[in-house]
Amino acid sequence: MAKEVFYSGCAAAAYGAKDARVEVISSYPIRPYTGIMMELSKLVANGELEAEFVHGEGEHAQVSIAYGAAAAGARAYTGSSGVGVTYAMECYSPAAGGRLPCQMAIADRALDPPGDFGSEHTDVMSARDQGWIMGWAESPQEVYDNTIMYYRIGEDHRVLLPQFCCQDGYFVSHIPGRMQMEDQKAVDDFLPPYNHPHTLDPNKPINHGPQIFPDQGSAINVQRAVAFDDVEAVIAEVVGDYNKAFGRDYSPFVDEYMMDDAEICFFLQGAHARTARYAVNHLRKQGIKAGVSRLRFMRPFPTQAVMESLSKVKAVGVVETNTSYGGAARGGAIIHEARHACYNLDNRPIITSFMAGLGGEIVTLNEFYAMAKVLSDAVKSGKANDSYWMNFEKEVLDTHS
Amino acid sequence: MAKEVKTQNLEMSKSLRQVTQDEWYVPGHRTCQGCGPALVYKLVSKAAGANSIFLGPTGCMYVANTSYLCAPFAYPWMHTQITNAGAVASGVEAAYQILIRKGKYKGELPNVVVMAGDGGSIDIGLQAMSAMMYRGHDALFIMYDNESYANTGIQTSPMTPYGANTTFTPPGKEVPEGKVLFPKDAPQLVIGGHPAVHYVATASCAYPVDLINKVRKGLNYKGPSFIHIHSPCPKGWLFDASKTIEVAKLAIQTGMWVNYEWENGEYTYQHTPKEYKPVKEYMKGQYRFNHLTDAHYAKMQAFIDAKLKAPGKPVAVPVQGPREQA
Amino acid sequence: MSRFIIPKHLEVPLGACLPAPVKEQPGMITGNWRTERPVIDHEACTTCLNCFIYCPDACWHLDEKTEQMVWNADYCKGCMICVNECAPNCLSMVNELEFPDGVVRLEKPF
Repeated sequence: MAKEVFYSGCAAAAYGAKDARVEVISSYPIRPYTGIMMELSKLVANGELEAEFVHGEGEHAQVSIAYGAAAAGARAYTGSSGVGVTYAMECYSPAAGGRLPCQMAIADRALDPPGDFGSEHTDVMSARDQGWIMGWAESPQEVYDNTIMYYRIGEDHRVLLPQFCCQDGYFVSHIPGRMQMEDQKAVDDFLPPYNHPHTLDPNKPINHGPQIFPDQGSAINVQRAVAFDDVEAVIAEVVGDYNKAFGRDYSPFVDEYMMDDAEICFFLQGAHARTARYAVNHLRKQGIKAGVSRLRFMRPFPTQAVMESLSKVKAVGVVETNTSYGGAARGGAIIHEARHACYNLDNRPIITSFMAGLGGEIVTLNEFYAMAKVLSDAVKSGKANDSYWMNFEKEVLDTHS
Repeated sequence: MAKEVKTQNLEMSKSLRQVTQDEWYVPGHRTCQGCGPALVYKLVSKAAGANSIFLGPTGCMYVANTSYLCAPFAYPWMHTQITNAGAVASGVEAAYQILIRKGKYKGELPNVVVMAGDGGSIDIGLQAMSAMMYRGHDALFIMYDNESYANTGIQTSPMTPYGANTTFTPPGKEVPEGKVLFPKDAPQLVIGGHPAVHYVATASCAYPVDLINKVRKGLNYKGPSFIHIHSPCPKGWLFDASKTIEVAKLAIQTGMWVNYEWENGEYTYQHTPKEYKPVKEYMKGQYRFNHLTDAHYAKMQAFIDAKLKAPGKPVAVPVQGPREQA
Repeated sequence: MSRFIIPKHLEVPLGACLPAPVKEQPGMITGNWRTERPVIDHEACTTCLNCFIYCPDACWHLDEKTEQMVWNADYCKGCMICVNECAPNCLSMVNELEFPDGVVRLEKPF
């Protein structure tokens, strides 16, 4: 039976994994994702979920255990936050290149130094080139839904890629929200059992991953590029099926709010989009035609969908809760991809970026209003900087209260 | 609770005649002439047989075996990182446990075997190996010991003997012995520290029937076992390729290598010579020790003499660490 | 329609994942490494099986029907461990040039 619950993002991830019937779970504690594993360990201990719960010796091991299990024919689940995510970096390419579709839940967290439990996207964003599917949920409901959808996307034989199922640390992972948990049978109908074309099986022996000569390397890379060409169609299919099966109305790639007649917009991923929508409501009352364009997948970056969305406005403010030091915009990472998506438009919008929420700070309504002023000024002047670090630059000072 | 997962029971061989002629580590690999680790791989593969899954971390037994885009493993085999063989094997084993319990896999639990070099076992791979032992996975961890990071061009590892010339420990004016540090004792890293481990053994390619039986014993245990196997390396230790077995035997005759088993707290020793030959006889046959003087040989002899008082057990050794020396 | 065209000579199995070999791996023929080969005197051979067990390349096996050792010319690297370990000393090293199928004679080794 489907039931309405009031769960945090951590619990939502755990129950999504449970309903996805994950078979091998590898745990290791680090704030703020730990709650996912605590909840799953209870479910396994009670016999509510039939799975092997493996206590990894660290995050690098967690990912290794997960992709080993995927190679052997089991649906595998793991997760981490912050420096745990970067510690496991070595293992991401072997998992993706080995075409092993395990899932890693990410409750993001600012990277050291020094210790900071607050939310930032940089941890897993820094792995965006490793060939995994990656996307952010903005609510516990979306965490639950993405957990189930990502398995179907990643395990599709046209794709065969591991997935980072991400949520903002604390803002989503630790704040409960109303959500619907679906009936197990309905989830089973939507998500078939794990089925992989080449597992480690004594009945059909394979040799997985022999050393190659450099001129064989590009051929293997192209296979992974083919998967990323094909995955958008699979995502659209899967999201469409999920919407139909469970009465959701997710847009596969970009979630738009008041974009159709907007002149300026905030472009971002994750939970701060919810504050952005409140800000838009207030701005609209003041006659400012603002909108929100929320990115649901960082990888594959949905270039076409982003272009279509951003082409509606005259100025885009990419709200970056991540850092890309030394990058072309001297700010975050998303602006480069947003600008790229719009590069071929005849009337490109002005695209700037706002470094907000760094360290795990709340992005306040005042900050969004300050961003809107910069964007409105940009529409008038035709110019904007590449990046504005909220509260530290003259155009966006004193907005924190 | 959990349904019992049935595992196979492998028979011991009493003689060379009883050893199967079937090969699961087949001809056609780019390992050096006379490669000790390759021989060990062949013997371990014979012992494990068809119902096995092997994990091969990066090292000579990965790169040399699988160059290029072809591999000699007749059973299912997967490459792992040098850092994580124990972890990937744990994932494979956990997957089979749950797939069998859920009725999705109908066969017997396959042997899960890690074939890791010294680096992949007790240096960069130590954490993953220890965790596999701690968690009690039904899997076998084999450390093939060629006493160096051989694949990358013979660099020192924590198993490289004192006094060895490697490309990170070349002898010179400041460091006449080349390698200053004494090696780790690998089995002792496992013995006693991991409650779920009942069986730890050492073996040598010089005594193949003993090696095969030890591997089968380890596999028959429903939990993790660790076997440390001496695998002389002609290219790294600098001796003629035809002498691999000779060198392995001489190691045992001089006490530089001891074959033993630790089983549920009890030690038994195999192939103990009546009298130990001097270590110099072993070392003189390998050019990696060619730069050493009698003073260095004496230091090695004193170290080995101390270890031989209680092989496989913690003993005081006459070693001065690098910070203790003047 | 994918934009990618994969030329035949650049085809690689998915995820670098190949079927396992059965009896040998012809992708790495190593018989052309040797300059000498072990030659057996079957009369003197006692089938002690040292050559079989000690060969790292599994190039000796016992033919159970004829009770004779069989040598694998395609893969033997000529390391001579077998010659060194042969208990009745019935193996000897002979230069490849002595044989009509000696690898150093071939125009193009393999």
